[in-house]
This record gives sequence, structure tokens and C-alpha cells, in this order.
Amino acid sequence: MTRFLIRRCAQAVVVLVLVSIIVFGLLHLLPGGPARAILGTHATPSNVAAFNKANGLDQPVPAQYWHWLTGVLSGNLGFSYQQNQTVAALLANRIPKTAFLAGVSVVLAVLVAVPVGLYQAVRRNKADDYVVTTVTFVLYSTPAFWVGLLLVDVLAVRLHVFPAEAPQGSFSAILSHPNAMVLPVLTVTLVTIAAFSRYIRSSVLDELAQDYVRMARSKGAGQGVILFRHVLRNALSPVVTLLGLSLPFILSGTLITEQVFNYPGVGLLAFNSATNQDYPVLLGVVLVVGVATVAGSLLADIAYAMLDPRVRYTTAGGGSR
Amino acid sequence: MLEVAGLRVDIRLRRGAVHAVQDVSLRVAAGETIGIVGESGCGKSTLGLALAGLLPAPAVARGSIRLGGRELVGLSESELRAVRGAEVGVVFQDPMTSLNPTQRIGAQVGEALRLQRGASKQAARDAAADMLDLVGLPQPREQLDRFPHELSGGMRQRVVIASALICEPRLLIADEPTTALDVTTQAQILDLFGRLRQELGMATLLITHDMGVVAGHTDRVFVMYAGREAETGSTTSVFETPEHRYTGALLGSILRMETAHLAPLATIPGRPPDLTLELAGCPFAPRCPAATDRCRRDFPAVTADGGHQWRCHHPLTEPAPSSQAREASS
Amino acid sequence: MSLENVTAALTEPPGPAGEAAGERGARLRLRAFADNRLAVAGLVVVVLLTLFSFVGPLLYHTDQIHTRLTMETLPPGPGHPLGTDNVGYDQLGRLMAGGQTTLEVAFGAAAFAVIVGVLWGATAGYLGGIADGLMMRIVDALLAIPALLLLLFLATVFRPSVVMLIIVVGLTAWLVPARLVRGEALSLRNREYVLAARTMGVRTPTIIYRHIVTNSIGTIIVNATFQVADAILVVAALSFLGLGVSPPATNWGAMLSDGLNYTFSGYWWLTYPPGLAIVVTVVAFNLIGDGLRDAFGLSARLR
Repeated sequence: MTRFLIRRCAQAVVVLVLVSIIVFGLLHLLPGGPARAILGTHATPSNVAAFNKANGLDQPVPAQYWHWLTGVLSGNLGFSYQQNQTVAALLANRIPKTAFLAGVSVVLAVLVAVPVGLYQAVRRNKADDYVVTTVTFVLYSTPAFWVGLLLVDVLAVRLHVFPAEAPQGSFSAILSHPNAMVLPVLTVTLVTIAAFSRYIRSSVLDELAQDYVRMARSKGAGQGVILFRHVLRNALSPVVTLLGLSLPFILSGTLITEQVFNYPGVGLLAFNSATNQDYPVLLGVVLVVGVATVAGSLLADIAYAMLDPRVRYTTAGGGSR
Repeated sequence: MLEVAGLRVDIRLRRGAVHAVQDVSLRVAAGETIGIVGESGCGKSTLGLALAGLLPAPAVARGSIRLGGRELVGLSESELRAVRGAEVGVVFQDPMTSLNPTQRIGAQVGEALRLQRGASKQAARDAAADMLDLVGLPQPREQLDRFPHELSGGMRQRVVIASALICEPRLLIADEPTTALDVTTQAQILDLFGRLRQELGMATLLITHDMGVVAGHTDRVFVMYAGREAETGSTTSVFETPEHRYTGALLGSILRMETAHLAPLATIPGRPPDLTLELAGCPFAPRCPAATDRCRRDFPAVTADGGHQWRCHHPLTEPAPSSQAREASS
Repeated sequence: MSLENVTAALTEPPGPAGEAAGERGARLRLRAFADNRLAVAGLVVVVLLTLFSFVGPLLYHTDQIHTRLTMETLPPGPGHPLGTDNVGYDQLGRLMAGGQTTLEVAFGAAAFAVIVGVLWGATAGYLGGIADGLMMRIVDALLAIPALLLLLFLATVFRPSVVMLIIVVGLTAWLVPARLVRGEALSLRNREYVLAARTMGVRTPTIIYRHIVTNSIGTIIVNATFQVADAILVVAALSFLGLGVSPPATNWGAMLSDGLNYTFSGYWWLTYPPGLAIVVTVVAFNLIGDGLRDAFGLSARLR
């Protein structure tokens, strides 16, 4: 277990370094280089030269990377000249909002998808499995923004149950309008459920086909014992990994949803930065989200290792606890 | 103890039914070990599942299976559940996959006792430790809290056997229990079956494709081909005077010390027939060197000599039909 | 017969677990696929939609270049079976034109992603060791960044055209096939026939192609199918974010997003036809993918 942890953390560090290189690379990939990207297209050549000198951009690339990386590590994610704010400040304002939207949705999605997937697997190829499978299948195949706007059309415009626009303002202002959060959360949740329940159904079906299930049946175990005492745990531990792996997927869904509902989160920030070519902000978002994903999948792997005795014990060289 | 009469198992698929077991009858007395032998796909595993009440949904059993006087065919799922584990224990082929990877050994061995006898956790644990001791696991108490992956294949198979026998069932069905193990471990496990039978007195059904496994470890042999009985009898008589030509071919495919230098290891040419078709005649005829028109036309009736019986028109103890007779139709 | 051919003949790969060999296996899989009614239905839908998009314009002529603002948002009726859109294009004709772009980008991006991913994954898995570690960490790093963010960035730098979209979407999509094939390659590299080929001096690229790629073909084909489905959704999302192809070119995603501006005006024919076209196509490809996956006997967890 300890060896596994060390190995896995070392991997995560390597991935983080690569993420930072990618973001740094993207900044340099821009036409005109980072100075133009940061100062905007109207900067004069002398402005650019002064900026380059001030930020060490006239030095060789590795030195620039090192300069940039140490800055990032000390919390300096750059400065947005368009918004006249540090990127860190902009992100600090937005991150809790996106984390809230994504977090609530994922929790709800898991709470629904697990029983639904389990039910589907048990009722495999019966009429109700077909119905649920069809619904999730179609939902899975529908663009997330359309799901959101259909919900708006029905629940906001026609039935006037929930507001069509997400709450604005500070994080606490958002929390004080739970009603307005319903549709954004519902959108992300539905899209996520569609992906998850499909996975969970497959996962449970895979487990039900295992030899140990037949063995348990031969010992007189009924459907309930097999499902809850044997299959569930084995089928759900990969779900933990799934959660880690699908963080980018969930964040993509969140980004689209923020755009649909004009929800002031990280996604909307990234989108607006992209349209305004405010690259320091856009790349700041890329970096932060990349780091969050790496951390998320690391946590997921550790949780998986805790759940699966095969990983928990073998690498620790050990017998019983 | 176990009486099977006219058992048929059809597996219904979209492309028609597979007649996996056809008209099989056999009896096993308490404390007796019978070997069910045949190539893969001959229906021997399906027979085992039928006897354990474990047939998968599209399979339907007809005929009669009486265990200790009680009819199993036609029982509901919940009635069958009470039989499984309590009256019949099953050991499957692969000990690496037969155990739940995330459950401790103790819980898995004691599971049947808890389910069938309502034993308390502690009682099941104690019984499991005793059972692990009986099947020859060193330090049984300490094994209870281990996970399957911490044990070797042979040890895991002992755990599987222990969990199948914890309720002391009347019948143990072992489906290729040693196929996935190395040769030394195979011998140990087979000896273990012999010892357990003496101590617990259950009837054992040893399903295998390997005549060598049957030889030293069974009282009687039941040779199956294409879902049907080919030959039954005491192990000694079947090995000494095999009658069915299929049994002869199976015996020819195991290496014998005294003949190994004389003849190369024989293999049986061809493949077993498609079990979705209704067969006329002897199912082995297409692969049988001695097949005649009669073999292709009529399914052979049982010929019996005491406890030894076979279904073959041209048994090995009679002279082979002339080549003229064999080629008549083709 | 060259030495390589001898090795290939001697060590005709039995393939990964559960794969029947050669032509017989292929026929069995074809039959298993043909038995799967949903998958066949998916295939029929894809063929019909392809015909609709590419052959349809030859039979149903519409002007998809000049806008006619006097004819905007006409409801379905004679002359315009699906009405007209907000700048006066015939909606049915536009659906065909949009279908062309959508399918071209989807197939192109999937092909791009699968080719790059397979080469990358097979090489990493076959080489193993440090090379594998580094190559897969690069995949991890790219996977850590949501594709949409990367696309957002790339789309601001490159002006979107069909070719650009194919490359941009392909660039973010090759990671999954790379991972899958790498996993297969890891298990294949120690097979006897691969070791035999290596000891006989067969060149590494040849081994990777003949043994690793050929034996992962099931995984590759199945993933390629899902890639097409995913690419359609990604292009739709990009179009919604305003990063699709520029008018007068269009795709279903762009039509849907444009139409959504009129959701509350009751112009249903602007949204439902392209929206449903996307859903139906994506469902069809997912059904085909599921059918192929089952036919190849691959784990259901392979989405």
C-alpha cells in the first residue's frame, strides 16, 4: 500500500509537470508570443520589448519556464490587463461557484445512477430495463446545451416552476437563491446520470457473470445476498475510478451549462476570456482545472486502493491487518 | 442417495434449442464417487449444474432428479435455494475466480452455514476454521481474515472445497476441480476428496475430461458423449474392458507406461456433433472408425453386463465390422 | 518465403482471450452483430443519414449560399417542407448541408484520433519501461485538461474550417484509444508469438503493426465507432460556444444553437430537426458500437 501510494504520487507529480509544460507551451504557441497574448494586439513593439525584459521573456525558454513555474507555485497565475485583476483573484472568485455546481450535481448523479444502474442490471433485458436504458441512452446522446434549454423551455418558460437564469453575484448570493440553482444543477446531473448509469449497469453485469457469483449461488445465496453482499462492492469500486476519470467530462458539462444559464463560474470565465482573447485568464483556468483533475484522479485511485484488498495488501507485503 | 432418471436439459436460444443433456439416468450411493467423463461440450458440466439446481435461465430440465428421496426437478427457485449449499455442494474449475476477491476467507467459507442454518457470525467462523483445518489449510484460524489473493491456487481450491462442504451436504459436485492446478497440487486435491469422502460420507460427482483423474479416484465411471450416456460401470471394469468405441478412444488418448513406446498418443479425429440438431443413430458414428449403416441409422440400446452397461452396436469386445460393412453407405 | 513470413506463419496469433481465429472468427462476429437488431438498426440509420446528407442535395436542390431575409423563419409548408431558417435558407436543404459537415468532421476526427491513438498506445505498450511511462504520462496530462477548454483555446488561434475542426477535435480525442490500445499491447507483448518474432529479428514497427495492432483490432474498431458519436457531440458543443464552421457553411450543432435563439418564439422547426438529427445519429453510432463490442466479446465497461 505504501509503495503503491508513493508510486502513484510520483506519477501525479510527473503529470503535473507535464500539465504545466503544456500550459506554458500553449502560451508560447500563440501568434506573437506571450507578450502579445498578454498585452493584447494593440501593444507597440517597444511595449512588447519592455514587457519581455521585465518578465524575463528575453531569456532562453527553459529559464522562462522556470521563472513562470516558480511564479505559479507562489500563487502568481498572471495578470489580466483586460480586467485589470490578477488571474488568481478572478479564479478565487469563480472556483467555489463551479465547485458547488459540479459537486452538488455529481453527488446527485451518483445517488441516482447507482440504484438505477443496479436495477437495470438486475432487470436485464426486461421491459423496464429497456425503457430506462433507452432514456439514458438518448440522454447520453443529446448535446448538453440542448438538454439545458429544453429544461428551460418546459420548466421555466411554459410551467414557470423555476427561473431560467442562474443566480448572479457572490457565492453567498448564489446560495441564497436555491430555486435558481435547480435548472443548472438538473442539467449537469442529468447528463452525468446518463453516462454513469450506463457504466454502472455494465459494471454490475460484468460482476454478475463472474464465477464467484455462481459459487455464492451454489452455497444457497439468493438474489439479495448476491447483489448486496457480493456484487455491489466489486461493481462499485470501479465507480470511484470512474469519478476520478470523468472529472474532465463533468467539467466540460459544467462549462456548457454555465454558458446556457449564464452562471458566473469558471466555465463562463474561460468562455468569455476566449472570446476576448484574454489568454492569461484562459490559460489560468486550463492550469487550475488540469491540476484539479490530476488531484481528483489521484484521490480516486487512493480510494480505490482502500476499497480493493488486492491493492491494499499485496504491495504492502502483508498478510492480515 | 442420488437417483437421476431420464434427465433432459434443453437450453433455449434464439437459433433453436441446444439439447445439452439427453435421457441420462444414473445412481450414486452415499459415500460413492462417480466420475463423469467426456470431451468439452459433451454436456457433463450442464449435467452437474442441473444436479446442483444451478441451471441458468434459458435452460430447462425435464425428467427426474431425486436426492435423498426428494424430487428436485420442478422445484421453485426458493425451494432450490434451500437445497443448494445445504444438500449439494459445488466446487468449480477455477479457484482463482471462484472466490469473491473482496471478501475475507472466513466469511466465504462460513457463508452457507449462515444462510442455510442461520448460524451466528461466531459459530460460522468457528465452523469455518474447523473446515479449513479438515481440508488441510495450515493455521486455519489465521486464514479466516485473509483475502483470496493472498493464497496460492491449490490453497484457494481447498478454501472452495471447504466452503462447499461446510454444511456437510449429501452430494458434492466437483466440476473439473483440478484442471486449473499444477500436477502436484492436482494429486493432493484428488487425495483430499478421497479423505473427505471417508470422513464425511458424502456422494461425490467428479466431472472431468481426463481419464487419468478418474482412474485412481472414482468407484464408478459414467462416460458421456453428445449429451448422452455412452458407457457406465465400475471404474475397474470400464478401464479393463471398455466396450464403447468412444471410451476406447478416450482411453487411447491417455499415456500408458507400457505402451508409450509402441504407439503415439492417439487423438480422436473430428469434433463432437452440433447439439442443436436432433440426431438419428449413434452420435459418435461420424468419428468412429467402426461405424456402419446401422450406427448411422439407429441409436444403440443399452447392453448390460451386471453393473457395466454401454450403448454401442459394435463394442470393443466384439470383432470390428468388416470394412465392406463400414463403407456400404458412403 | 522470407524469414518474417515464416515467423508469421509459424506463430499465427491466436489473439486475445475469446477471439476465434481468422476468417471463421470474423464470420462468427458478423453473425453475432447481425443478430443484434438494435445494432443493425443503428447501421441502417447511419447509412440513411449519409445518403440523406450526401445524395439528398442532388435530388433536392436548394440555395445554401445566398441569404434571403424576406423569406426568413417561414413555417413548414409547400416549397419548404421544413420551413426556412432565420436568414431564409431552406431548412431541409440546410439539414443536408449541415449533415455533410457534421459527418465529415465526425468521421475525419474519429479516424485521426484512432490512427494517432493506436500508434501511440501500441508503441508505448510494446516498448514498455520508461518510454511507456513517459508516453502515458503525457496522455494523462492531456486528459487532465477538459477537451472543451483546450478546444476553446485552439479555436481562438485557428480559424475553424472542416479540416481544422477535424484536426482540433482529433487532437483532443486520441487519448482514449491510446490508453485502450496500450493496455492491450501490454498484455500482447509477452505472448510467445511476439517473443518469437522478436528473437527472429523482426523489426519493431512490423511487430507493432502485425501483432499488436492486428490483435487489438476489436478494441480499435469499437472505440472508433464511439469516437464518431463523441465527435458529433463535441462539434455541437463547439458550435454552441460559437466556434463552429463559419457561414454559409454549417453543421447540425450550429443549426441547433442558432435555432435555440428562437426557442421562445415558437419556431420549433429551427431546433427540433437538427437536434433530433444529432441525437439519432449519436444514438445510432452508440448502438453500432455496443453491437460491435458484444460481437467482439469485449468487456461492457469498454465504453
